[in-house]
Amino acid sequence: MELFLHYLSLPYLLRGIGFTLEVTALGLAGGLLLGLVLASMQLSRFRLLSAFARAYAVVFRGTPLILQLVFAYDALPHIGLMLSAVAAAGLALSANEAPFIAEMLRSGVRAIDPGQVAAGQALGMTPVVLMHRIIAPQAIRAMVPALGNEAVTALKNSSLASVIAVPELTLRSTQLASSTFDFFSIFFASGVMYLVLTGAFSVLQLVIEALLDLDRPGPRQILARLLPWRRAPAATAEQAPEAAAAPMRVAAALTDRAARVAALARRPAAVEVRGLRKRYGEHAVFGGLDLTVRSGEVVALLGPSGSGKSTLLRCINRLETWDAGAVRVGGRYLGQREDGKPLSAREVARERTSVGVGMVFQQFNLFSHLSALENVAGPLRWVYGKSKSDAQRRARELLERVGLAHRADALPRHLSGGQQQRVAIARALAPSPSVLLLDEPTSALDPELVSEVLEVIRRLALEDGLTMIISTHQLRFAQEVADRVVFLSEGCVTEEGLAHEVLTHPRHPLTARFLQVMNADRPLEIPA
Amino acid sequence: MSTNRFFPRIERHAAATPLHARRWMPVVLGIVCALAATGPRRAHAADMSAPPACQALQAKYPQFKGKTLVNALNPHTPGYEALDPKDPSKYVGFDVDLGEAIGKCLGFSVGYKPVAFAALLTTLQAGQADFVISDIYATKERAKAADFITYSKVFDGVLVAKGNPKKITGINTSMCGAAAAENTGFVEVPLVQNLAGPCKAAGKPVPTLQLYDNNAQCIQAILAGRADTYVNDVNTVDQAVKAYPDKLAKAVAVTLPYSVGIAVPKSRPDLRDAMVAALSALQKAGVEKALLVKWSLGAGHEEAPRLVTE
Repeated sequence: MELFLHYLSLPYLLRGIGFTLEVTALGLAGGLLLGLVLASMQLSRFRLLSAFARAYAVVFRGTPLILQLVFAYDALPHIGLMLSAVAAAGLALSANEAPFIAEMLRSGVRAIDPGQVAAGQALGMTPVVLMHRIIAPQAIRAMVPALGNEAVTALKNSSLASVIAVPELTLRSTQLASSTFDFFSIFFASGVMYLVLTGAFSVLQLVIEALLDLDRPGPRQILARLLPWRRAPAATAEQAPEAAAAPMRVAAALTDRAARVAALARRPAAVEVRGLRKRYGEHAVFGGLDLTVRSGEVVALLGPSGSGKSTLLRCINRLETWDAGAVRVGGRYLGQREDGKPLSAREVARERTSVGVGMVFQQFNLFSHLSALENVAGPLRWVYGKSKSDAQRRARELLERVGLAHRADALPRHLSGGQQQRVAIARALAPSPSVLLLDEPTSALDPELVSEVLEVIRRLALEDGLTMIISTHQLRFAQEVADRVVFLSEGCVTEEGLAHEVLTHPRHPLTARFLQVMNADRPLEIPA
Repeated sequence: MSTNRFFPRIERHAAATPLHARRWMPVVLGIVCALAATGPRRAHAADMSAPPACQALQAKYPQFKGKTLVNALNPHTPGYEALDPKDPSKYVGFDVDLGEAIGKCLGFSVGYKPVAFAALLTTLQAGQADFVISDIYATKERAKAADFITYSKVFDGVLVAKGNPKKITGINTSMCGAAAAENTGFVEVPLVQNLAGPCKAAGKPVPTLQLYDNNAQCIQAILAGRADTYVNDVNTVDQAVKAYPDKLAKAVAVTLPYSVGIAVPKSRPDLRDAMVAALSALQKAGVEKALLVKWSLGAGHEEAPRLVTE
């Protein structure tokens, strides 16, 4: 025991910890850098890059670290690269850690809901902004435990640097054991030192996890918890009734349909789709689809599942590519230069913001690491360069409009589906788009939550005169809100016309059959 | 207390102000000798005075003067090279002293790079070290990787558990069926392997080999009952017995037809020649013998410098 304590406090061994940490730090920093490069190569569209990254992973993940260390130390000098022992160990450990870290980064990025990525794109985020604001913050949170593990592994792996004369803890321990014959006391002592180091790494990991925890109580809440007699007033606000969702008699305002239709016909086209063709392998999604939507018009896209409604909306927003045909929004070819060549992702993002197309998704696709307020205000800052206060003011205004001012600080996962969709609508409206695309905005909602969302959309149609294309299964809603109904079936427009006419007197047998089925499901929604 | 612990201080001094120091040195050394009364007197006298021939060598090989040359060593062999248990920041032993004496003779200081025994010559070939003085036997095989300059004869000892339960009497058929611990890369490894033929001929099982990374692990293998014997330099074996007198014993000493050598890169004949000259000068002046005595290795081990090359 005395010997053990002697070695535990021996400066010679303690100085070895410095080298152990130096090699570990070099290995982790280099591994992270190289891992970032490898991960982005693997995620890249270029086959050659991803093939190279994979080959690298095969070699460096598939050979023992000890060989890599000896290679860096003894083989590199033969090609004129003479590294110090510590540098060679750092290099080998980096090269060895990189493929593991790359896989963590890659899985972290891939774990991000693709819907959030699509929402970010639809908001006009460039790939860089998307990575920085949406993907990385969530991926990093998901990766912290795995990275903590890897850091501990790297620390222990640094002991192998003893074979190339790095005077770290293990090398010092073995040499000391040889010269003193106090084999066990020395190795127990160095074992305890390693335990303290790895323990510190684990604590660091837990601290980082706690700091990044989205549900972490703010300083005020901690105070409230420590001083239970000081009750925060927030609780009462939570239960405030959602004022805005009061139904309005929108239909009455839309009665003068004939005049409105005539006025709309004179307006310029907001969205023009010409000869759109697209196929997924054997399956043709669109076989030459045409559609024109006038500025200020509200169009309901109807049709059975798989008829191409969502894909059409995503094409209009250039979230999808197509094989032939053209899509013009506000007179501009989105995603294409005038000569027909495709634009880069970055240029498409810029186009989207300047044309002004907003999108609301079936699954809401809110950014799950951001509060309701930040979901709306963030894109205004990052894409439109608004100041923080301007963005917040606009976001609060919109949240108020959708009746969610009191939930501004809530995370999406603490909101009901209807509330989430209302935040998503506020988010899409924030940059004041000229066209709003709504992709089955109520399909993912529980029945009792549908009306609050429809009410918000109704008011948009009435009060804002926004051009909207809504794919929906809500026939009564379509009839009330839409100027025109477009019925899609197997990628073709089978019938279109004034909402009331198509829904009550369908001419095409496919439309008739679809309406019949829908009405059979919902006897209460039989159109008058 | 041994004088070599004072060496580094003097070395540093000498490196900083060589002329000044040379004038000073006899005075300092005198004080040191007087203080360090417990050490063997002859060793001190021999250690301290760089032979006059060294002056001429420094003039002939000026390229090493004032430099730091790196000695790659496997510091797991107390008596030859190991950490100083009293001050683990230093390496001590006969080989270390000899390297320092050669350095002093040629005017360079010595840096150290501790590596596995099997990596000694690789490290030298990679240019990560300038020479190797680490109780490495100068065999023809190894001479393919580096040039060797012999300086000592080889006497091995056979380490066994106390009482020699397997009745081992040397590297012979008494080892049949025994488990032998050896260091990776040691010359004893093929010697034990070569027993396979005679053992089979005698109708006995062949000896098994356990290869370890260093001396301490081989000794631990016997202490743990994993191995029956460990053949290595006799002094190393004696040190192990001294450390564990209740558990270990030396079965027998054997003579091997090898010499211990200094390894230098094949690409540096000037360094090789300078080392041969310096070693000759040191032997002539009785320095090596004194060091052998100081480390209780026996003055009879000394061997004249001879090149072993391929």
